[in-house]
Amino acid sequence: MGTIRFREVVKTYPGKQPVIALDRVNLDIGEGEFVALLGPSGCGKSTLLNLIAGFEEMTSGALSFNGGTVDSPGPERAVVFQEAALLPWLTVEQNIAFGPSVQKRPRAEYEPKIRELLRLVGLERFAHSLPSQLSGGMRQRVGIARALVMDPKALLMDEPFGALDAQTRMSMQQLLLDVWQSLGTTVLFVTHDIDEAILLADRICIMSARPGRITREITVDLPRPRSVDQLTDPAFIRHKAAIMAEMREAQKEHA
Amino acid sequence: MNDAPARALDAAPVPAAPKVKSRGLFPAGRTGAAMRAALLPVLVIVAWQLAGSGGSLAGGVLPTPDRVWDAWVVWAFGPQGMGLNPYSGTWLSNVLFSSMRVAQGFVLAMAIGIPAGVMIGWSRAVSGTVDPTIQLLRPIPITAWLPFSIAVFGIQDMGAIFLIALGGFYPVVVNATHGARDVDRNWIRAAEMMGASRFDVLRRVVLPAALPAIFTGLRIGLGIAWTAVIVSEMVAVKSGLGYVLWDAYYVGRMDVVIADMLSIGAMGLLSDRLIVTVEHWALRWRRLQSASR
Repeated sequence: MGTIRFREVVKTYPGKQPVIALDRVNLDIGEGEFVALLGPSGCGKSTLLNLIAGFEEMTSGALSFNGGTVDSPGPERAVVFQEAALLPWLTVEQNIAFGPSVQKRPRAEYEPKIRELLRLVGLERFAHSLPSQLSGGMRQRVGIARALVMDPKALLMDEPFGALDAQTRMSMQQLLLDVWQSLGTTVLFVTHDIDEAILLADRICIMSARPGRITREITVDLPRPRSVDQLTDPAFIRHKAAIMAEMREAQKEHA
Repeated sequence: MNDAPARALDAAPVPAAPKVKSRGLFPAGRTGAAMRAALLPVLVIVAWQLAGSGGSLAGGVLPTPDRVWDAWVVWAFGPQGMGLNPYSGTWLSNVLFSSMRVAQGFVLAMAIGIPAGVMIGWSRAVSGTVDPTIQLLRPIPITAWLPFSIAVFGIQDMGAIFLIALGGFYPVVVNATHGARDVDRNWIRAAEMMGASRFDVLRRVVLPAALPAIFTGLRIGLGIAWTAVIVSEMVAVKSGLGYVLWDAYYVGRMDVVIADMLSIGAMGLLSDRLIVTVEHWALRWRRLQSASR
């Protein structure tokens, strides 16, 4: 269970000159599907994610999660933020435990799970460190563990690796691939990195800016399980060339 | 991430002093720093002493430091109940009178100011209802409240405590408001996404995030609380450092006046250090940021 459906969704920000962030967006994401939203900054891809996360309200249209309406944030739609957004006064362990603890789940249930997740993201030794003592990549690992501990039906990831250096980004992509391939959660992944979108996603939705629209949908039929080694595969390069051509075309159409 | 500007006056991480070669007069390290800090006060006291003759200067108005010291020793350790010197042996009790009033008034200021400020910063409804009134009353200086306070509470402790609480309240509430208003939006969103209720967000995100600003408010508020206690004791109460200050001036005991002033300064410094100590403990997580990689 983790289907997402956008129907003719419009989001405008009022003001002297109202900004149309999203213009009649249609998008269907199936159970267990990994969809990447690819586009330049300011194209509304984060707005799209914020709507399904329940952080913002759409102006018109219909939006559903698992067939139900979305009116507030909730643990079944876990968000991984660009800068991790960990609470700086809590240790790594306390940050991961925040969700289960506010949901008043029994400690005996979530504590073993946190230990398991810490191992999964390679941070056992840092359970009692503060976020400020971690590197950017480690912080984002905590952000992912914090989302996974809630057993979400969908993972909403807003450029989670955008602020990381190339090497760290690759190891995070591999980590995400491994985790997702074993869990099979629905993922909506916002990025402006073409390689990242191809490597991770089943399907790539290309967005254009002003007004924000999904202009192309491309299915990535690279076999799974994938790994970052495939970044140099001929098949990968072919995909990339095709996507770049589509993006150029889309840009021309919307210029 | 989240490089919020260090709001607290000295909550900014202090990097360990690198080993530097001694520069000029003083040796490197803590001892040298202490010597450097003491240089100016020592020079002022020596100059003050040398400028006087026969124990006074400025035409007999101001006592020299040795006379101030003598007056303080008698004030602090002299036998009580001697008719000739009404101040003898009363220093500690007057310090305690003033400190107790500051403590009571300031606890009141915190008990009202912190929750009020956090609520104003957090809730638009509370802000719209309460904040305009606070902003309207805030420009009235606490000294202007003196007649009101005496009329309502009379010449007793309650009047002083009211004034201290009021003076301390404003900086506490204003800073708590700012702290609660400036919380990183993504922290709140993250908490909501994890299933936090509105009350969870307030208690577990907004309050801790506002703490650095709250401590800034506490330190400013405590300074004003000491101002308020001295003012009200000079006018409306018959005990404490403020009362002694005015009384000694009235009978021409400038040595006691200066000893009293220095005592007030020392108490202000001491109580500020107390808050800083609590702040350092409560905001341990901020100090570690300097160790971030």
